[in-house]
Amino acid sequence: MKILIAISSKEYSGPTLDVGMNIARILKASTTIVDVGQKISEFSMKDVSLANELMESWDIDRPGVDVLEWAYKYLEKNQFIDSQDMCDGFPKHSLVDSGAGRAEMLLQGSTIEDLSLILRNGEIIDELRDEVQTHEYDLTIIGGSGKRSMAHDLVQYIDSSIFVVNNFDLDQDYKILLAVDDSPGTSKAVKYGVRVAQAFNNKVDLLTISNDEHFGDEYRHASARAVKMMRRSGVEAEAHFKVGDPVDSIVETAGQDHIIIMGASTQSPIAKFFLGSKPLNVMRNCDCPVLIVK
Amino acid sequence: MFGFSARSISNVLFWVTRKKWLILSFLLSISFFYIPSPDGLSPEGHRTLIIVGVTLILIISESIPLPAVAILILIMEVILGVDTADGVASSFMSDAVFFIMGSLMLAVSLVNQGLDKRLALSVINVTGNKTWRIVLGFVTISALLSSFIGEHTVGAMMLPVALALIRNAGLDTDKATNLSTVLLFSIAYGCAIGSIGTPSGGGRNVIMIGYLSEFGMGTVSYLDWMKFTYPMLLIEIPIVAAIVWYTFTPSQKIMDSSVRKLKVKVAKTGEMNANQYMAIAIFLVVFFGWIFLSPFIGLGIVALSGVFLYISFGLVDWQDINKNTNWGVILLFGAAISLGIQMRETGAALWVAEQTLQYLEHVFQDIAIVRWFVAVVVTGILTNLLSNAATVAVLGPIILDMGGNAILMGIMTSVASAFAYLTVVASPTCMIIHSTGLISSSDYFKAGWKLFVISVLLLFMISTFYWPMLL
Repeated sequence: MKILIAISSKEYSGPTLDVGMNIARILKASTTIVDVGQKISEFSMKDVSLANELMESWDIDRPGVDVLEWAYKYLEKNQFIDSQDMCDGFPKHSLVDSGAGRAEMLLQGSTIEDLSLILRNGEIIDELRDEVQTHEYDLTIIGGSGKRSMAHDLVQYIDSSIFVVNNFDLDQDYKILLAVDDSPGTSKAVKYGVRVAQAFNNKVDLLTISNDEHFGDEYRHASARAVKMMRRSGVEAEAHFKVGDPVDSIVETAGQDHIIIMGASTQSPIAKFFLGSKPLNVMRNCDCPVLIVK
Repeated sequence: MFGFSARSISNVLFWVTRKKWLILSFLLSISFFYIPSPDGLSPEGHRTLIIVGVTLILIISESIPLPAVAILILIMEVILGVDTADGVASSFMSDAVFFIMGSLMLAVSLVNQGLDKRLALSVINVTGNKTWRIVLGFVTISALLSSFIGEHTVGAMMLPVALALIRNAGLDTDKATNLSTVLLFSIAYGCAIGSIGTPSGGGRNVIMIGYLSEFGMGTVSYLDWMKFTYPMLLIEIPIVAAIVWYTFTPSQKIMDSSVRKLKVKVAKTGEMNANQYMAIAIFLVVFFGWIFLSPFIGLGIVALSGVFLYISFGLVDWQDINKNTNWGVILLFGAAISLGIQMRETGAALWVAEQTLQYLEHVFQDIAIVRWFVAVVVTGILTNLLSNAATVAVLGPIILDMGGNAILMGIMTSVASAFAYLTVVASPTCMIIHSTGLISSSDYFKAGWKLFVISVLLLFMISTFYWPMLL
């Protein structure tokens, strides 16, 4: 299991990092934390890198390093890194350029397998997509700030599962809202749901939605199977059936106190591109964290 | 679907959305190719204009890397029959391209010498610790230095000085404050107004001089250029300082501890060493070469001689130059100048110039104002969207074909292309200060529009009342 956590600044990325690292701890995943910095115009790329080289001689960090340092301090404080191994604090000099505007720092003495920090520059979707494709992450965790404008590109082009940490309040008890139907995506989503629920001790609401009063056998079976699986894993789960538009019902039921988990759409990429998909519309409209399982 | 996996379809869709401008420019060029040439425009001129359109779309949208744009220009010139392969090759390299290459390499050589700390100390010694004096000092030194050694070099050298001051002011370095904004803009705008001062202030000045002599419209020497533009530079220094100060007035009026810490920091680096004296001496040789030798051997060859001296005296490693020189930009300007020359030779520039004059004359009623409008306002706007050198390379031939005094029109266009105040992509220094993450894109407009308007008016007055006296 490999997790990518995308952060952008101290002010806004606290919840993302916190949720992300807790998930990583529970899933025992190897984890990479990435900060994607400003896109640099090609005309000025070398001038900017000259300026950055000079800044090093003045002991001034290049942009983005401060964000990594903040993430490092968080990791240290929450014992993801054994601070005894790191008596010198943030190991700025172990940030190594790995080409194409990507710099990486592998953290020694981490309490979970392989923990690293990386810095990239460019358009955020391009960079995340490239990172996920080349390094084959299973789950990308990202803050909700640019959610509406980026939702389409995230769902369409990022190959891993996506967790958008939107409006997340660290002190709130969340329930999980699992959207269940007969699609192949559901069983994967249920598996994720079990693990997350076990980890954070959440209650789970399983929601099955039909356009009319008549719920097909497949729908009922899928819901029953999911409830059974939850109970077997010791997770408290309750099945709900609703009639109406799937997207509206999910968003409405979720409110602000649920984490929505749903499977990715199995439509062809072209149909998704032009028509959109349920996960995409849920992500656009909801006010709570969403996990889309691919 | 059709045996393609969902993933490969998704890859194709991703490519299409990211490259939509490339695809659009391709479709547009095919459809324009089949439209019959308008009256007065030769078929070659017609095709040259197609290449110009494609180039503008691709540079502004940044949908493919710049070197690829450069290569595409060369390929299209040959395939569309605008010129032969050898003809394209010979218009691709010129003294102006030598100059751009030399000037980028000189920047690497100078930046590597550790002179930035000396520079910091001398600025601070003169300005003292009052913030407004530091701002004025930054604008002045950035403007004066960049007029000789190029804005990109000065921008890179001044940035750490400003950041050191900001950091020692006891502020959070990663939050934008008025103090960081005012100091960084005083560098960026200082460099921008400085770059008009001499031909070596920016590659676009040399491109314009190259066009003037290539088209047989006149020659401008290094000192002549300075006579035209330096007064404007000097007048603009206090204006820039005042505009950035009053737009972003910081709450810290005195930067006592920052200045003290900076002095301590610089003191640690010791006296100037032999290499640094040598580096300055070589630059002076280059400077005098530009003044006295360039009429005979060209500005580009003088710049390259400087590079040769830096490398052969061991003051800079070739590896450093190789790594930090933007080869893509050199290729692009080579190709853009080649395109400019083709625009002139095929009559495309003349046709566009005539159409523009005809159309705009209805609006302004006076041909002199039309010329001024295109040379100053259109250039000024385009320079904020493209890079400034690309603007001059593409607009230059058109403006020179609009009539009027070619030398005045040329210099006016070059000066207007320095009004790159409004966007992040407008100039290297704008990008350098933006890369710190301390400046948001909207800040550029806040101070930039005032400076833009004042600069346009100032250029109008200077070109109307002062320049004719020099002829």
